[in-house]
Amino acid sequence: MREHSFFPPVSRAGSSRPAAQPDSVYDQEADEQPAPQPVVVQPLPPPQPTGPASPLPLAVPPPSPQALPVPSAAMRFEERWSPLVIDRPAASFEPRPPSGPSYRPDTLFDGWSTDRLTVRLASVRGYGHRHSGRPREDDIAVAVHPSSGTLVFAVADGVSSAEQPHLGATLACRTAVDTVLAQLAERRPELDWTAVAKHAAWQLVEHAMRVRQSDQPDAAEAERMLATTLVAGTVEPVDRDARVTVIQVGDSAAWVLRDGQYIAPLRSQSAPRPEVASSSVSPLPRLPNEVKPHGFYLAPDDVLLVGTDGFGDPLGSGDGPVGRTFARHLATPPEPRGLAHLLDFSRETFDDDRTLLAVWHRRRLDGGAR
Amino acid sequence: MADNRGHLIPMYVVADESGSMTAHLDELNDGLASLHRALLGEPMAAAKVRFSVLGFSNSVSVRMRLADLRQENELPRLTTYGGATSYLEAFAALRNQIPQDVTALKQEGYAVYRPAVFFLSDGQPNPGEDWEEEHRRLTDRSLTLGAPNIVACGIGDAEARTILDVATSNDYAFVAVPGVELGATVAKFCTALTTSVIQSGLSLGTDRAELVVDKPEGFRMAIDVV
Repeated sequence: MREHSFFPPVSRAGSSRPAAQPDSVYDQEADEQPAPQPVVVQPLPPPQPTGPASPLPLAVPPPSPQALPVPSAAMRFEERWSPLVIDRPAASFEPRPPSGPSYRPDTLFDGWSTDRLTVRLASVRGYGHRHSGRPREDDIAVAVHPSSGTLVFAVADGVSSAEQPHLGATLACRTAVDTVLAQLAERRPELDWTAVAKHAAWQLVEHAMRVRQSDQPDAAEAERMLATTLVAGTVEPVDRDARVTVIQVGDSAAWVLRDGQYIAPLRSQSAPRPEVASSSVSPLPRLPNEVKPHGFYLAPDDVLLVGTDGFGDPLGSGDGPVGRTFARHLATPPEPRGLAHLLDFSRETFDDDRTLLAVWHRRRLDGGAR
Repeated sequence: MADNRGHLIPMYVVADESGSMTAHLDELNDGLASLHRALLGEPMAAAKVRFSVLGFSNSVSVRMRLADLRQENELPRLTTYGGATSYLEAFAALRNQIPQDVTALKQEGYAVYRPAVFFLSDGQPNPGEDWEEEHRRLTDRSLTLGAPNIVACGIGDAEARTILDVATSNDYAFVAVPGVELGATVAKFCTALTTSVIQSGLSLGTDRAELVVDKPEGFRMAIDVV
């Protein structure tokens, strides 16, 4: 009997780790599957101990993050729901209806808790698409595997130059989540993340075949029609922590919000920053040679954030006003519609669709039970 | 990455103001005004553009630099006092100015898309000038920070060969057809270019990702397609 390599225990001060579990009777079946990608757990920097406040006064107080207006009875209804302005606002206008035959709502939001995790998510149409009359091209899907309590998620950003990127994003998200749930139901010792990405990619190819009424798969046609980025993963509660696994195709990303700082576990530290920015991506149905799952632990006070570049670009390093604003308002789970409102902030030149998933360890809220 | 204040595209209109352009300058000025109106009608795109206008003949005059067109009442008017047509001076000025502009915008906290140059000329540069070497350095992405894409528009009896040599892609080379309003054409192309730069597109020439070609084992059709 061998120990599996999935999430080897990582020693970290002040945090107990589960011992490696032996493989189950599913060994033989698993061996017949394509070799799953082992997860290399990248330990995040340890949380800083929260000791007493420094007696030394701060020389320069940091700028206050933007605060959402606190609704009051006297507050005009319009003021209450006007977008939060950060720095210089984007132009104000009445949105055009989204083009296309199928209904695509401007905004979606959701929120709930399992026994162990609290989930909030929102996806909002960008100011650019509201102005041009295009549909929201981002999408998101989440589900909970009932017996393990594992949260399964997918976030996608359809590529604007494709014909129907919003459909590509939806297909990729739902297929990725369904595929992970199916693997969890099989009680595999390790999830096959390469298969997850391939299923999502193939769903785009199949859809393109149906639309074109063709019986010949054409991945290039699927790319022209449905290209989309994808971030998919799981959050598995383990003792006081949670194990996070994430795969990434394209430029959507994930962060851990810890003590007001944003840690980007998927970002390659060695990749140089380009001299000039580019909006081009290598999306599904294109697959990287290696679909590498990233694994890390979510400490009790951490917040996992998964989002499209519509959130990631204005966030930047998280040191600016956008980062401070979200750090302040996501310290504890907001009302689900509150996250949608927050995510719809107005800041000049940031007009892309924005999608954000936020996951907390479930904690005692005011008046709420754990 | 530090705080990102936004994404900007520096755009440069470089207009030939030599004596041979006298008959076309009114039309070019109308085109710039048309471009201004077109961008004001696209406030999302206009917010991302920083606009410069350079006129050249024997030397180069910077008429406008990194302007936010939403804040400008009108664009500068191109004029000619005669003179020759020094492409060498024009490209040298760009090679000096563009890296400075890109650096300045980045220092202000912006992410900068690859700059775009709209080069408007009758395609008759001074004979004997080695402008091609200056052009090569300007557009060499390993040499020049923010080496631009150049859209070349030939006006009047333009030398098509020269216009093709100036444009960084054959798709970016245009020769005005008599009877077609040149200014409106330039304005339309400029707004289209802005949109295409901004919106996400497919990476070209990627060698690290392959299109999926096989149906994966156990694949299930999506049931609840939108």
